[in-house]
Parts: sequence; C-alpha cells; structure tokens
Amino acid sequence: MGLEIRGRIASMAKRATILKVSGLRRAFGPNTIFDKFNLEVRTGEAIALTGRNGAGKSTLLRCLVGADRADDGSVEVCGNAMTETSPEIRRDVATVIDDLDFFPDLSVVEHLDLLARAHGIADPDEVVDDVLEEVQLVPQSGQLPGTLSSGQRRRLALATAFVRPRKLLILDEPEQRLDTEGVAWLAQRLKSERQEGLAIVFASHEPELVETVATRVIQLGAPRG
Amino acid sequence: MSSLEAGADDFAYREASEPRALTPASPRELKRLIKDWRAGRATRNVLQAMSDAYVAVFSAVMIGAMVVNVILKAQRTIAQCTSVSCLSARAILPWAAFAAAVALALAASRLFGPVLASAAEGFWLLDAPISRAKLLRSRLIGAVLAAFLGGALVGALVAALTGSTVIEIVVWSAATALSAAASVAFAAAQQGIERHVLTRVATYVFGLLGVGALFSVVGVAAGWFSFGFSDERGLEIGLIMIGASGLVLLVSSVLAALRLGRIRRARLLSGGALVSGISGAFFALDIGLARDIVVERRAMERGHVHPRRGKGLGLEALVWREWQRLWRFPQPLLVLAGTIVVPYAADALGMSTLTPVFAALALFGATIPLLGGLRVLTRTGGLARCLPFSLARIKLASIAVPAILAGIWAVATTPAYMGFGDGAVERTVPDASLMAIATAAAGLLAAVRWTQAKGVDFGAPMVASQAGAFPPGLVTNLFRGFDVCLLTTAPLLLGLSAMWSLLIAAIAAIILLNSMDAEALRARQAEQQKLLAQQKKQREEAAAASKQRKR
Repeated sequence: MGLEIRGRIASMAKRATILKVSGLRRAFGPNTIFDKFNLEVRTGEAIALTGRNGAGKSTLLRCLVGADRADDGSVEVCGNAMTETSPEIRRDVATVIDDLDFFPDLSVVEHLDLLARAHGIADPDEVVDDVLEEVQLVPQSGQLPGTLSSGQRRRLALATAFVRPRKLLILDEPEQRLDTEGVAWLAQRLKSERQEGLAIVFASHEPELVETVATRVIQLGAPRG
Repeated sequence: MSSLEAGADDFAYREASEPRALTPASPRELKRLIKDWRAGRATRNVLQAMSDAYVAVFSAVMIGAMVVNVILKAQRTIAQCTSVSCLSARAILPWAAFAAAVALALAASRLFGPVLASAAEGFWLLDAPISRAKLLRSRLIGAVLAAFLGGALVGALVAALTGSTVIEIVVWSAATALSAAASVAFAAAQQGIERHVLTRVATYVFGLLGVGALFSVVGVAAGWFSFGFSDERGLEIGLIMIGASGLVLLVSSVLAALRLGRIRRARLLSGGALVSGISGAFFALDIGLARDIVVERRAMERGHVHPRRGKGLGLEALVWREWQRLWRFPQPLLVLAGTIVVPYAADALGMSTLTPVFAALALFGATIPLLGGLRVLTRTGGLARCLPFSLARIKLASIAVPAILAGIWAVATTPAYMGFGDGAVERTVPDASLMAIATAAAGLLAAVRWTQAKGVDFGAPMVASQAGAFPPGLVTNLFRGFDVCLLTTAPLLLGLSAMWSLLIAAIAAIILLNSMDAEALRARQAEQQKLLAQQKKQREEAAAASKQRKR
C-alpha cells in the first residue's frame, strides 16, 4: 500500500506541469471575484470548477485563456507566461468559452478543415470526419453556422477543440445546450482525453460530467446563504 | 360590439354549456388601442420634444441649407462646362442613378421583406383572427413612400450635380422616385407569392446597367465611342421612364395589396427582426455591427453550401479559405470592379485634383465586404485564439486577398491619373502609378481600420458634453476609416509627391496590422506597470526593514 502511494506520488512528480497559476486576483470595483488563487495542473489531470452562478468560474477561465486580464498574479502555460496573442499559447491551449465566433460563409466541415490545416495537419480529412461523426454533425457538415441550432453550435464549438493538437483544454460549461446523450458522450470523451495525458480545466454545473472527468474539484465562491 | 369594448360582466364565470361566440376586433380598433397605449405612456408631445431639441433642429436646418447651397453652386458651375466629358456625364449619369436606385430598392426589399412586422406584432396581432392584409397595408404604403422619397432625392442630386437644367432635374427626380417605388411594390408583390427569383434577377440586371452606365461615361469622355442623342431626347426618355415606372408601380401595388394576406408570419418577422437588430446597432452608432447582422442574414438565407476542401498548411490555409469564401459570395468583386470607374469619372468631370480622394473613398467602401474574414477574426478574439499564430500574422493573412485585389485595382486605375479627361493634369507613367498605388493603399487601409473597429464601450467613463454624457468612442466610431482615407490622400490633394502618401500609408499599415497591435501593447503596458509596482513594494519593504534594524 505504502509502495503504491509512493509510486503514485513519484509518477505525479514526473508528470509535466502544463498550467501554473500563482496569486491570481480579479475584482470588479469593490467586488473581489477571487484573490490569491493558486493552481497547478499536470498532464493527465482534470480540474473541475464548480460553484453557484456568479462565483467567478467563467471569469477565472477567461483569465486563464487571456481573454480577461487579472489584476494581480500570473498564469503560465508550459512555462510560457500567458499572453493571449502568443502563438505558443495558442498552439498548446484549446478553449471553448463563450466568445467563440464562426465565419458566416464557411460550412461546418470547412471550419474544422481550416483549423486542422492551420495547426499543421497535412491531411486532415480523417481527423475531421472522425470528429464530425463524434459530435454528430455529419448531416450538417455543409450547413453554414447561422443555420445551426444552439445545441449544434455548441457541438461545433467542441469539435473545434478536438480537431486540433492540444496540451491543455479549457472549457466553460461545455455541457450547456447539450442533450442527455450529448452530456454522456462528452463525459466519456473528456475522460479518455485525460487518460491519454491531456490536462483539462473546466467549469460545470453537471454532476455527471464532474464525477466522470475530474481528478480534482475546486468549489468557487461562498455557498448561497 | 367588439371584444375590446366588452364590460367586466362579459368575462364573468358562466355555467352555460355552449361557448359564447366572440366578435374579433377589427385591425383599425387594435391599431387605435396600441396608439392609445403608446400616447398614454409618452411624457411629452412632439412640440415639447422639438423645443428640447432646438439645438439639433437648428443645426440640421443650418447644415441642410449649407448642403443645398453647395449643391446649387456646384450645379451652376458644372452647367457651364460644355466639354465632351461633362456632356457625357450629364447625359448618362442620371441613367446610372436611375439604375442604381432600382437595384438598391430591390436589394433592400429582398433583404427586409419589404413588408415586415415586429416580434411583438407577430405575437400579439398576426395570430389574432383579423385580416392580415388590412393590418399590413400601411406597412406596404410606408415602404413604397420611403423608396419614392429616397429615389427622388438621389435622382435630383445626381441630375443637379451633373449640371442639368431645372426641368431635367425635375424629370429625372420623378423618374428615379417612381422607379424606386415601383421596385419596392414589385418586390412586395413577389413576397406575397413567396417568389424571389425575379426580384433577384432584376437586382443584378439593374446593378449591371448602373455599372455599364458609369463605364459609358468614361468611354464617351475618352472618345472610345459616342451617343448620338441630344438633351431634348434625354428629356423625352426621362418622361417615358416616368410613364413606364408609374405603370409598373400601379400594377405591382395592386398585386402586392391583393397578396398581402398571404405573406407568411415567419417571413414578416424575419424582416422585423433584421430591422430591429440594425436599428439597435445604429442607435449605438456601431455600423460594423449593423453590417454583421446583414451578412449573417444573407448567409442564413443561403443556409447550405457545397463544402470545398482546403489547401495549404498554416497561414496559407487561411489565405486559401479567403479565396474560397470570395468565390462563394463573389458579389463584392462586382462592386470593386464598379469602383474602377470612379477615378476616370472624376477626371472626366474635370475634378482631377479630387480624384484620389473620391477613388480612395470608393475603394474603402468596396473593400469592406472583402474583409469579412478579418472582421470575424478580430471582433471577439475567440476564433483567432484557436489559430496558432500571432494576431499580426492572422491580420496579414486575412488581408492578403483584398491586398492583391487592391493592387489589381491600382493597375486598372493608373491611366486615370495620367491625364484622362479634357483639361486634366498630365502625368508620367511612374507618377501616375505611384498615385494609383497610394490611393489603393488609402482605400484598403481605411477599410482595415473600419473593419477592426470595436463596438462602443458603454461601460467606460463617459465624456461630458452640452448634449449630455456619451462614451468617448461613440463619435469617433463614425469617422473610422474616413480618417485614414483623407490623411493618406492629403499630400496628393495638396499637390505633393505621392511618396508622402505612401509614407503615411506605411505608418498606418504598421499601426493597423503589425506588431504595434493595440491589444498586445496594452498587455505589455499592464505587465510593466505590475512589475514597477512590485519593485516599488520591494523597495519600500527593504527601506522599512533597514529602518527597523537601525532602531
């Protein structure tokens, strides 16, 4: 038993640190959303952020991806200081937060093809087809994003994260607008991604997703009193 | 008695087994009721509102008077010009305005409806058991009237600015007004039977006629060909156009009125939603957002495309996709081709000094639709974050295709700067080429600036003014793009070397596209401030510690 624990600690120590957050602080006027927030995420770890609405989950994730600027503290991804426009960061981090936009005149499959090619996948047909099938958007592959339902748009957003190489996956309530079957699929997909060594940070209100995927759960904000 | 006038007793609980038949309200009664609600909630009447807004009213009257004065002066000056260029412009440009007004009216009608209803009307009125045709009649009349007034304005303006006589101005104004109104009525008649092919075809036909007319101005001014008709013949043709447009207006209006009741609720509401979205964007003076809404609607109308495989890797893939997107929606290319005429037309009309400004402004407008990719990649940052490149490189890749097209445009417009019209300034090929390149750069960079503009931040500290507080970006947003255009072409306007313009363009390009990206600069600045604050804190702590040690 002792050997097993020692072995686990040793393997944890061997795993590379993908995300390191130190002393992060964000406040809107007099309201401090979070302060002195520290986090270290290694390969194969999945961190679930939970908490009531307004607890600061999305704000924290926005700071982690560089879409929002923290008032204090630092964020490092694979040893590089977080700058949203840094190509290294963009290469390593796949994000699905609420500001994802689509070209109105490119079809579903063309978006995925473009992302795969931009990330250097020379023959992306196979990976694009696989992802499309997984997110169940094959019948909609030729559709323009404006005609997709909100659930289908969410699936496309998730597909953009899965079609490209990544070391860290950051997701803000990925279960949003997905049906029960979709949530179950997502939970299994994220679990297998984690098992393959991907680092994941996600915010969620879905207990099934948190239970299946997370290796650690961080509760943000004080419970509603 | 209608249900609206029913007393409280009528709604009392009854045990009667058979349901009581209710008399539906008439559309007029419903409209009166809504008007009553609206008027009842107003806190001031129109006169009070106008007295409050006297500064705005006086400004509008003064600016209006100045504009009319400028137009009349220009009309008198140009009327004296009897060169071939001026005569050709006078004879043909009203035709171009006529065709453009029809094309524009048809395109707008197809986009918005032209008959439309708001979401509230759709929910509360369209489902009511009343005559939909009666309810929508005022909408149809409003749309036709708006087109009539717009057409009259465009027709009169173009005829006046080409130096036509008063009678010609009246005839062309009436012809353009009636044709625009007839176009809207025609589109409404087509909307009633859910067919849009004819409207679409007519839009392209008249659009091409407009461009063709503009090319004719250039051709006649250059002496490539000539039209044999006199001014009197032009007037006769104008009168014939009035008759024909009036007939189309009459027939189409009758057909549209008969078909009003058949327009689907969804179609009416989609136009209403578009108008409300666009008006919201205009209230915030966010013209970019208004354009985004229109672009999104067009894409939704198309809905499905035949997917094409991408090409290349890395940034090359992004450039290829820009080409593919352009071939998928090639209409902006037609507009771009149309703007090639502008420097030639300006030169032909004897305005060679102003040619670079007019040409750059025309290219600015024509290039915006080509920068759809840049717009999507810069408006939220979400999609750009998915691509493994710096923002500067993404921007460069996004404008590669429009830059190539602007280059071709510069080559095509070079002869216009070599001294094209009668009495124009003659220049050597290298000078003319440099001027054309500088003008193209001005138009392209202005479009880049306009496209990248962020919406107004209403959360930022407001600026106090006599008209009340407003966010700082509200007014400057209106001038985005125009500033680059005018600044870059200013040396050409002042008769300086085109190299000065190119230098200004280069600086603008560095600011807009390259490493001096505002976002990165802000991030760097914030990082430096954070470091300075840390160092200051450390110094203070060290000083406090040494003081303690001394004690």
